[in-house]
Amino acid sequence: MLKIEKLNVKYGKIQVIWDLSMSIGNNEAVGIFGPNGAGKTTLINTMLGFLKPESGRIAFEDNSLIGLKTHEIARRGISVVPQERELFPFMTVEENLRLGAAYIPHALNKVDENLDLVFGIFPILKERLKQQAGTLSGGQQRMLAVGRALMGSPKLLILDEPSLGLQPSLVIELFQKLKEIKRLGVSVLLTEQNVKQGLKVIDRGYVLENGRIVMEETSQKLASSPHIQKSYLGV
Amino acid sequence: MKNRTGLIIAVVGVLSVMISLPYYSGAYFLSVTMTILLNMTLAVSWDMMLRTGQLSFGIAGFFGIGSYVSIVAVSNFGVNNVVSIFLAAAFVAVIALALAFAILKLRGIYFAITTLALTMVFSVTIRNMPTLTGGSGGKVLYNTIFNGDTTKIYWLILTMALFTILLSIVFEKTRVHYAISSIRNDEVVAKSSGINVFKYLTVLFVITAMIQGVAGAIYTQQYGFAYPETAFSLDFLMLPMAMALVGGIYSTWGSVIGSVVLGLVAEYLRLVMPHGSKIIYGIIVILIILFLPKGIYGTLESKLRTTRNGARK
Amino acid sequence: MNAKPFHLNRTLLILIILLVVIAIWKPVALIYGFQRGGLYALIALPLALILGIIGILNLGHGDFLTLAMYIGYLLFENLKIDPLLSMVPLFFIFLALGMGIYMITIKYVLKSGELNQLILTFGISMVIIQMAELIWTTRPRNLYVSYASSSVSFLDFSVGTYEFLYPALAIGVLIALRLFLKKTKLGQAATAVGQNPRGAEIVGIDTNRVYFTVFSISIGILGIAAGVMLPRTSIFPLTGSPYTLKSFALVAMAGLGDLNGILIGGITLGIAEAVIQSIPGYGGWSDLVFFGVLLAVILTRAYRRSES
Repeated sequence: MLKIEKLNVKYGKIQVIWDLSMSIGNNEAVGIFGPNGAGKTTLINTMLGFLKPESGRIAFEDNSLIGLKTHEIARRGISVVPQERELFPFMTVEENLRLGAAYIPHALNKVDENLDLVFGIFPILKERLKQQAGTLSGGQQRMLAVGRALMGSPKLLILDEPSLGLQPSLVIELFQKLKEIKRLGVSVLLTEQNVKQGLKVIDRGYVLENGRIVMEETSQKLASSPHIQKSYLGV
Repeated sequence: MKNRTGLIIAVVGVLSVMISLPYYSGAYFLSVTMTILLNMTLAVSWDMMLRTGQLSFGIAGFFGIGSYVSIVAVSNFGVNNVVSIFLAAAFVAVIALALAFAILKLRGIYFAITTLALTMVFSVTIRNMPTLTGGSGGKVLYNTIFNGDTTKIYWLILTMALFTILLSIVFEKTRVHYAISSIRNDEVVAKSSGINVFKYLTVLFVITAMIQGVAGAIYTQQYGFAYPETAFSLDFLMLPMAMALVGGIYSTWGSVIGSVVLGLVAEYLRLVMPHGSKIIYGIIVILIILFLPKGIYGTLESKLRTTRNGARK
Repeated sequence: MNAKPFHLNRTLLILIILLVVIAIWKPVALIYGFQRGGLYALIALPLALILGIIGILNLGHGDFLTLAMYIGYLLFENLKIDPLLSMVPLFFIFLALGMGIYMITIKYVLKSGELNQLILTFGISMVIIQMAELIWTTRPRNLYVSYASSSVSFLDFSVGTYEFLYPALAIGVLIALRLFLKKTKLGQAATAVGQNPRGAEIVGIDTNRVYFTVFSISIGILGIAAGVMLPRTSIFPLTGSPYTLKSFALVAMAGLGDLNGILIGGITLGIAEAVIQSIPGYGGWSDLVFFGVLLAVILTRAYRRSES
């Protein structure tokens, strides 16, 4: 459903992504692992149209995304849970959730349905419906960001470092929720430094180091790979 | 080595032409040159502060204070004209230093708007102290500096401009430059690499304010009057800004080139359309921001650099 | 848009006490200040909108007002359009002007940093001032309509009735803006953009369209303000200039995004100004009220931030 070919991205004068190719299939969960500064967030920002690539192709359902504005990409069915969450801090939980659907044409007639779905996955959001998003705890804000992304009825859900800054119990809970979300038929792209938890959710993963893909394997093979074990799992 | 000799010859050449100008130039050209040099001084001083990432709209404010201190010192207290200029510098320095502690913590919009508001506060204050300043009626100076000897006034303005340029170059070529541009690029990094951001900002703020105050004092001494509307006129902000922008910000030579080019263009326009010719400054500022944010000098410099790099490859 | 810097309740209380004191001491100043304060708020609202949602401080704000007054004056002189009626055409003319200015300038500096944005709008300000001088010279223009000079007497003093339109219109515009931001889809998008532009883009909001709309509506509102000011204001190239900083003072005082605060702040400062103006011999210092408040607010914020 998503296909990236020979992507090169520069950030200022520094090249961050080199000849990167990857793909995500229908209802597939794909992980991108790598150390801090490997280019994971740059890759996502490029997919979302925040950055313009030097060269290469990004196609979503056979249509090129390059040159589209971020909001146009969102309307095509790609929702994101950014690292910084990017919520609307002075709006209530409910307003945040509704905004997740309000500007996505194909999600407009599914608002109630999607609200129920989000509350099913994150009951806490229903309890906090009238609370200002900025006053939620970090974990709750992350859930709200995921919920807001789901409100747009995405075909592809991108999560950038969802475990960042969360306490371990919440991380485990969040990744369980992600499995539930995947069962809804949504494709998932996940970047993670927490490889151990990430491997439990994904079907297939890439390892990104210094802006280059150095490995592509199924989740089981990654888990048993010596490189992963040594560098990321600390075994 | 060859380059350096060439540079020295060029500098000496330009300097001797500039110094001897009154001996062979007509009065009109001399006065145009003086206006350009005055604006050049303001442009360079504005750019010096801008290099720290702080946009100051305070030029007109310090210019006005310098104007008034100098004229009040001479006509109310009988101070010598030349001494009054130094007095203006000292007075402005004290004000700037006092303000520094309050406003140099501000950044971006807030710094800019505060300097603009201060200009208004200064002008309202001056207007409301009629016994000292003549209020909104302004003040006229009967014994002008050097008894109105244009040649000497020209040399005075030239000295001011050269001093400012020299200071700006010193700041560009020494360690200070590294500190200043790192403050502009990333203040957090600057702080963590041990740069005393506040100290550098204070030094620059006080020095540039002094230069602007001196420019105001000399201007007032040259023309022999000060009114709140003219001394605090935003023209003294607009023109230098436009000049620095045209030439290219963040560099001494940008401001210098900009003030010469725009100064001549403006003079020509003033002759063909006496009213509202200043509209050109506003238009130029807008066009530069939209199309040539590096200015003439900055664009040429980066073009040269890329062709040179290209040749090397 | 940021959280409110102070609690409205406490402020209101202090305000009411102050008002009572002033009402006894200088009743004319109170009424006069209320009228003027309404005008300040009316003019500050669009500046707040542009600053809060687009994040740009429009230094040409007051000069667009000047321009609108000149156009209103022309409409009156040449087409005999009543100034109050001219609010309608002025709104649409300036809505269109706002669109044009956005398309040819603002749009291109959205991502180029605060310095460039400030310099650009400062340039726009200068162009409008100089253009006014070029076309209309510095000679003041005045426009006379009989209804604008009616007054009403209380006890032993009289106040103009026309000026009550200022606060009335300010309240009207405030209500309309709040409805727009709360009830319309574009308005909700604008609120979202004001709180988090990046977040807005990822939920599918076209930020450029929001900026375009907000900028043009704001400039349009200045057309309305110009219409109501026309009969009681002397028009010259610098007529509107002081309103830029005064509006910013109100926005800084109220806090970004607090539109109600602007109305309250405007009336408070309007009254403070009027009170000082009514003191013989010290009237000239009244100009310092806004600048003083502006500096005080900015500096306390900066101080608090560096403390924490």
